[in-house]
Amino acid sequence: MKSFALITPYLAANRYRILLGLLCLIIVDLLQLFIPRVIKHAVDQLTLVQVDQSDLFHYALVILVLGLFIGFFRFFWRHCLLGTARKTEEALRNRLFAHIQTLSPSYFDRAKTGDLMAHATNDIMQVRMASGMGLVALNDALFLGSAAIGFMVYINLELTLYVLIPMPLIVVGTLFFGRQMHRRYKRVQNAFSELTESVRERFAGIRIVFAYNAQKAETRKIEHISRNYIQENIDLVKTTGVFYPLMILFTNLSLAIVLFQGGRQTIFARITPGDFVAFISYIGLLTWPMMALGWVTNLIQRGRASLDRLEKIFNILPELADGEDAIPIEEFRNQLTFQNVGFSYDNDRDNILNHIDFTLGKGRTFGIVGPPGAGKTTLILLLMRLYDVKMGKILIDGNDIRNIKLESLRSLFSLTPQEPFLFAGTVRENITLGSEQVTEADLKQVTHLAALDKTIDELPQGLDTIVGEKGIILSGGQKQRVALARALLNDAPILILDDPVSQVDTRTASRIIGNLRAMAGEKTLVIISHRLAAVRKADRILVMDNGEIITAGTHAQLMADGGYYARSYRLQEIEDAL
Amino acid sequence: MRFDYGYDEEQRLGKSYDIKLFQRILPYAGAYRVKLAVSVLLVVAITLLELSVPYITKEIIDRYILPRERLSDDYANMEFSSRKTLAVDVNDPTVAEIVKQYSKLFHVQKDQTVIQLTDLYRLDPAALGQLRHNDLSGLFRFAGLFIAVVVAIFIFTFFQKLIMELAGHRIMHDLRVDLYRHIQRMPLAFFTHNPVARLVTRVTNDIQNMHELFTSFISMVFKDIFLLVGIAAVLLTMDWGLALLTFMVLPFVVMSALAFSKRVRDVFRELRIKIAEINTRFSETIAGIKVIQSFRRENENFKAFARLNHDNYMAGMLQINIFAVFMPIIEILGVTTTAIVIYVGGGHVLSQSISIGVLVAFLSYMKMFFRPIRDLAEKYNILQNAMASAERIFILMDQPTTDDIKPGEQTISGPLKEIRFKDVSLAYSDGQPVLESINLTIHAGETVAIVGATGSGKTSLVNLLIRFYDPTGGSLRINGFDSTTLSPTALRKRISLVMQDPFLFTGTLKSNIFFEAGDLSSKEQDRIIDASRCRDLVTRFPKGLDTLISEGGASLSSGEKQLISIARAFSINPEVIILDEATSYVDSQTEIQLQQAVKNLMQGRTCVVVAHRLTTARTADQIVVLNNGSIVETGNHEILMAEKGFYYRLYLLQDDKEK
Repeated sequence: MKSFALITPYLAANRYRILLGLLCLIIVDLLQLFIPRVIKHAVDQLTLVQVDQSDLFHYALVILVLGLFIGFFRFFWRHCLLGTARKTEEALRNRLFAHIQTLSPSYFDRAKTGDLMAHATNDIMQVRMASGMGLVALNDALFLGSAAIGFMVYINLELTLYVLIPMPLIVVGTLFFGRQMHRRYKRVQNAFSELTESVRERFAGIRIVFAYNAQKAETRKIEHISRNYIQENIDLVKTTGVFYPLMILFTNLSLAIVLFQGGRQTIFARITPGDFVAFISYIGLLTWPMMALGWVTNLIQRGRASLDRLEKIFNILPELADGEDAIPIEEFRNQLTFQNVGFSYDNDRDNILNHIDFTLGKGRTFGIVGPPGAGKTTLILLLMRLYDVKMGKILIDGNDIRNIKLESLRSLFSLTPQEPFLFAGTVRENITLGSEQVTEADLKQVTHLAALDKTIDELPQGLDTIVGEKGIILSGGQKQRVALARALLNDAPILILDDPVSQVDTRTASRIIGNLRAMAGEKTLVIISHRLAAVRKADRILVMDNGEIITAGTHAQLMADGGYYARSYRLQEIEDAL
Repeated sequence: MRFDYGYDEEQRLGKSYDIKLFQRILPYAGAYRVKLAVSVLLVVAITLLELSVPYITKEIIDRYILPRERLSDDYANMEFSSRKTLAVDVNDPTVAEIVKQYSKLFHVQKDQTVIQLTDLYRLDPAALGQLRHNDLSGLFRFAGLFIAVVVAIFIFTFFQKLIMELAGHRIMHDLRVDLYRHIQRMPLAFFTHNPVARLVTRVTNDIQNMHELFTSFISMVFKDIFLLVGIAAVLLTMDWGLALLTFMVLPFVVMSALAFSKRVRDVFRELRIKIAEINTRFSETIAGIKVIQSFRRENENFKAFARLNHDNYMAGMLQINIFAVFMPIIEILGVTTTAIVIYVGGGHVLSQSISIGVLVAFLSYMKMFFRPIRDLAEKYNILQNAMASAERIFILMDQPTTDDIKPGEQTISGPLKEIRFKDVSLAYSDGQPVLESINLTIHAGETVAIVGATGSGKTSLVNLLIRFYDPTGGSLRINGFDSTTLSPTALRKRISLVMQDPFLFTGTLKSNIFFEAGDLSSKEQDRIIDASRCRDLVTRFPKGLDTLISEGGASLSSGEKQLISIARAFSINPEVIILDEATSYVDSQTEIQLQQAVKNLMQGRTCVVVAHRLTTARTADQIVVLNNGSIVETGNHEILMAEKGFYYRLYLLQDDKEK
């Protein structure tokens, strides 16, 4: 129960609400039990004709008042108890989200997004159910159950014992079937996921299906998977179809005992006809607490399993965390250096970067070129310390970046990644990333520099156009320019552009490159590009292949060498000319 | 939870469509009419049995516990505490004995021997049992009947649910497969216009929604309404005055149920949207973690998330409050009917127009009465939802399957001789041609390389060849036949496509390689695996060909995926190969295997290669250079080199390694 500590602070913070809620719940339970007693008196006196119309009016009034109070208190327990569960849910989910944001990218390379999502929604929901309805069910099972039995014993002990015979079956039945239903429900969900995924896969790969004339075979497969889904559903129905009617059957068996045994007792005049009728009512009231007893066991178990899973996530520590003696860094003064750096994403595989050695001076422009897979992007991920080097070190003004506070290190850089990642909000939100001190003038400037101004004018709501998930409404080039504007707005001394114009047309690209060049001197620029015109004017160009720097120099030097750089540059000239 | 997309596009076509929808669904249901009919019959039986439960209780009270016809007012002894007497049958010898034994307690009234109810207590229990032995055995019989009834309810309910669900699911299965088959018959353009997620939702979630139509709706129509009518009838026969009085509460129940269900639907929708947004935020944060961390926007991102999370909390609280108001209101209305029954019904007992048993039965029936009414509104919502889904499904089903390719019936007999593009043009949308005046002849056995920059129309040319699209102008002739008169399936049987980005399905290596190859002997399989250089790849896994490939082939490198797609092309032994060369990075070891595999595949076949490396183009019989949708140069390597045009310059610049 160690993981229970995850929610105790929230429960403690709401203890008065919980107590008030429980109090109201107990009052409701008690009042509910009094109605059969009132009915009993009315029936008894009607049997013996000891009442008149005004007495009946009195009884009716008592019942009505009891009902009003029940309704009144019921509102409060629902509000207080279930509300607390919702509050716990909110706080727990906030905590999970904040925690996940601190984890390092390497964690997300390994973890499955789907699993994390399951924690965020399913497990937290289970915790809510356990702490809300679970608490209510527990209270009802214990209090309402024992109080109802108490009232029955008060009428007649012997009859109560007879009537209670089927009741344990309800508890055990709920426990047993509850588990089975949960298992089978999961299987149905899995089958549904499988069905969804197979259909999705076939529609996504429809070209292959068409090209290979596989329509019939694929339909058969879908049929098969759909059948399997039906089978799982029917298995579930076999459980639910038995469970609910069976619980009603057990209740009805108790009722049968009341009818027979209670009827006998009434005939033998050991109980009154009113007691007999009251017993029938109590049976109805007792069914729920008995089911709750079985139900709550499952609910709490499931909630605990979810808490355990959540705790596991909370126990994962960010791989890249500030050490105790990490120093803050105010500014980029002089130079940054890679010293014999080597790296691999996976310890079991060969390094994908080896012997990286270079120095980058402040205010200079740096180009990195090379075929796909050469390791260019990895290089800058290491520089920003999204991953840690495996060998060698990276120094900024003489300090190993692993000794610099992460927050202050990253504040030195502004990045446009190779695959621009856009969030589902508006263009404005994607550029500002939620920063509130951004003025319209700032926005105007950066959108101009990123050659985004015309695009924004064409969008239906301008800057406030919603771009959809991953920026679906924008073209690849537009997304790149939004990411560029985002990087430009972020006023950091070192600007890193990972293939910033790969999807932008040639004219716009040269406009952007021109704008960037104007910043040289004031900012330090690192440009990775397959379009070599973008790095042509750089102070130094690194040529990478297979994880190593094969050569470096200025445009003129590299053209004179006649290697990869020179050949690629000429090829692009011809393509541009066409 | 999952798959929440699609609720924003619920365009309604008006009520008249509902009838049409029913007409569309009926044929599917018709196949299972026996099951459905049995299910409905069982529902009727269950309803009758459920109605009888409170009635048996009433009969037990009225016949044996407080036997109505034997109870009467005691006119003689007005001063006694009880004025009720019980008549006994003195013709019964056992009873007569007791009467004799306790003669003081019994007296004769209107030809009947009676005893005061309060005096029954003064009898010895054994004597009382003998006095009322008929009542006791009657009680025993009725308790037995009661058990028989409730056991029958249990059994019937189980079978009814099972049969109903079975029929419902089978109907949905048929519909799902039909829908899938229909979508699969759509032209390729359909898939570029419709996001895959939407199509998937139709086949999975929308069908699932419709399932509710069968289970919930049928049980609503046949069970709830039948039960309501049944209860009303029983109540009216027992005491019509009291029944009408209690019915006065019903309009309030219906009204609050309607008001409630509307609010609840809104808040449920709100919750669903909020949860979907929370999920999006989570998955976006995970996908964009590098952006967030490198821009240090953790705080802003958290604030945005916390706002969403709080909205979700508020919607949740609203839901709790709606339930917290509605549940007590229904309960108070229920208690009100109890109060009415006690007050008015009690009065009727006093005036002897009804018995105690009727009073008790009234209380039970009223409880049964409330549940279906409360659920009716909710079920109406389910119905609405199902209809909306049905509408979307049938709109899709009504879309014609052929848009941009003509089906054609003709098949070519004998080997493929010639493919000729005659002044072909293609435009995916009006006025924006991607290919213009293409003239090209491909002879059997030839290798044709297509060269050109990104966006020059290479893929579109391939799309025409495999008939994913038909030309918008000019004609494509195969062995002299216009391609639009030919059956696309028969044509595609002769052509194999190896795509740049190989698509793998979840399944085994075997099912991916021998995708649509029919039955091949293991010898043939071995030959294909060797020829496609997949042997290393297959033996790398302990389970060999039966190794499961996860979603999208995540466990394989891109080179390995390409090898598999080459093997797949091999497996159908096509006459024509269309090869879209991959550009992605492949390690040198795999690269050599790939080249060998491609060479083997091209051996003795007609090949169209979309070439990114000029190595492939160099050996081709014909090289086609595309630019902006038009052919700018054609000829073999020697001719084009002599022309000193685009190809010449391109070739000179190639990396020495690649030459």
